[in-house]
Amino acid sequence: MTNIEIGLWSFPALLVLIFLRVPIGLAMFIAGFAGLGLINGGFDIALARLKTETYTTFSSYSLSIVPMFLLMGHFATLGGMSTSLFKAAESWLGHRKGGVAMASIGACAGFGAICGSSLATAATMGRVALPELKRYGYAGGFSTATLAAGGTLGILIPPSVVLVIYAILAEQNIAKLFAAAIVPGLLAAVGYIIVISIYVRLFPKSAGVRPPVPMSERFRAMFDVWPVLLVFGLVVGGIYGGLFTPTEGAAVGALGTAIIAFFNGGLTLQSLLGSFTATARSTAMIFFIVLGAAFYNGFLAVSQVPQTAAAWVTEQGYSPYTVLIIILVFYLLLGCLMDSLSMILLTIPIFYPIISVLDFGMVDFVSMQHGMIRDAIASGAAEGVAQDVMDQINALMAAGQEVPRQLSGELGVRLTELRANALGVEYTAIWFGILVLIVVETGLITPPVGMILFIINAMDRQTPIVETYKAVMFFITSDLIRVALLVAFPAITLFLIT
Amino acid sequence: MNSFFLGLSKALAIVGGIVLSVLILIVVVSIIGRETGLGAVTGDYEIVEAGMAFAIFAFLPYAQMTGAHATVDIFTNVLSTKVQAWLVAIIEVVFAIALIIIAVQLFGGFESKLRTGQTTLLLQFPVWWGYAAAFAAAVVGGVVGVWHAMVKVTEAATGKIIAVEGGEA
Repeated sequence: MTNIEIGLWSFPALLVLIFLRVPIGLAMFIAGFAGLGLINGGFDIALARLKTETYTTFSSYSLSIVPMFLLMGHFATLGGMSTSLFKAAESWLGHRKGGVAMASIGACAGFGAICGSSLATAATMGRVALPELKRYGYAGGFSTATLAAGGTLGILIPPSVVLVIYAILAEQNIAKLFAAAIVPGLLAAVGYIIVISIYVRLFPKSAGVRPPVPMSERFRAMFDVWPVLLVFGLVVGGIYGGLFTPTEGAAVGALGTAIIAFFNGGLTLQSLLGSFTATARSTAMIFFIVLGAAFYNGFLAVSQVPQTAAAWVTEQGYSPYTVLIIILVFYLLLGCLMDSLSMILLTIPIFYPIISVLDFGMVDFVSMQHGMIRDAIASGAAEGVAQDVMDQINALMAAGQEVPRQLSGELGVRLTELRANALGVEYTAIWFGILVLIVVETGLITPPVGMILFIINAMDRQTPIVETYKAVMFFITSDLIRVALLVAFPAITLFLIT
Repeated sequence: MNSFFLGLSKALAIVGGIVLSVLILIVVVSIIGRETGLGAVTGDYEIVEAGMAFAIFAFLPYAQMTGAHATVDIFTNVLSTKVQAWLVAIIEVVFAIALIIIAVQLFGGFESKLRTGQTTLLLQFPVWWGYAAAFAAAVVGGVVGVWHAMVKVTEAATGKIIAVEGGEA
């Protein structure tokens, strides 16, 4: 067998292992180990790599953000932030039609802003909101479906553990990815709220009514949310504003939520140890997958499969959008079987090289150059530039033509084709990352096996899972519409970073 | 016996959690020092890296004992309980072998760092310190992995449940 054949055969072998219930990290580890053995004709090289690879993988500074964010999520729950978020949202929205469900979505979005995991967001908000939804006469399936959909906001709204992993795999800037996720995340929350208002009109019996809460109480409930706003502002603002690295942001967030939990009386020795062991379980699970993926991807790189696949797709001359849509549909299907993190670690090393060589027309050199020139003129760079130079520049811009670099350089604008193309690749990578994140999350709430559905349904024994399945289809429709919008208009994702 | 290994792995996970908390404090102190002009903690980056490696190795045994690893079980759920039990037993044996290989090779890495005397860039502490700490935790991982595999094989052979999986919230 050639190396490429070994690489290609490793996919079905890996899938068989995973479907035989082998833990995903272990399956990738075995596939990578066996693959390297086959390519090298012996296990010496694979074993030698292990001497330092486990240590270097686990001692990654950028990955240390993962346990810190997980710990932060636990402290946020201990600090009662999930409850105060729900109370605040509920006091403002609760009296509307479907208002308590809308409040649950709002609270999930808020909790997503301090928690980087969907399963944790769904589980935490489920504990807080499910009893309230029941109390106000909301139908079982509608309630569980709402919370499942709300749970996906945990990952869409930064900080997000999965985005951190994507950033590392695709070698992209974590801060920019977080910024790019904000608008699609808010769109998701708005979309779910629209779904709820349509649902309660189609099925009026699915939601009870509740009298409005006095204004004074609403403002008091709002005031209780300040710790959440503080932590979110500090972490995401600090990372985006360049005050600190993402890892530093995670550390600040973890300490901040711990202090708040302590003053709210939620942080005792016992709950602290409980947070440690819960963080230990999720962290070990994630890092073992990261280790398996590092090993498997190392093998794939040696087998040349990703490069060959990327070259093959380019040669076929498929339209970039066709390739993108096929990949997104693939994720949607796989998302019904696997958790988002495993999927990203498993597939991004193959798909990302393919996507990065396709031209989605993200960057138009001329219009980008013109934009930069306009910015430069607006900031006063035109002062002291000879009038005839400015006349030439203005004439070229009016005609929609490229301005030669000698001229634009007078204004301090030195954009090259190479730089523009590099930006195009970066924008594509960020846009693709957000799209993948959304479809993967949609997979987590897609019947019959979406993981979040199981978690939420397990909290409400009286509701048959079929009821949840029926109601969640409305939320999935909203997800699909949103993905179509984001595919059609990349600017929705990218405008915050361009 | 099972409660001994569960307790051991839990204690190690808590030690890992304490290390993680100390790293968080160091990072925050470093930021405060940097922003107030008092100066950042020298080599905070290196401390985080070494500490993280230990913490992750310290977390692994508890994840092993409580069955925390992500799996896809919808296809195997159709199999009979007995077949599933054997499947789990075989997987846990393979997992234990993998953990032992990882620990043994990590010792090799430790030896070579000890031999070369490589130190970190800023703090100049020997890299083998980090490897030694990680190796100590990895040994527990291997031992716990073997125990857990033995439990699963016994469970498959006798049909009795010895260890209930799943950790507390």
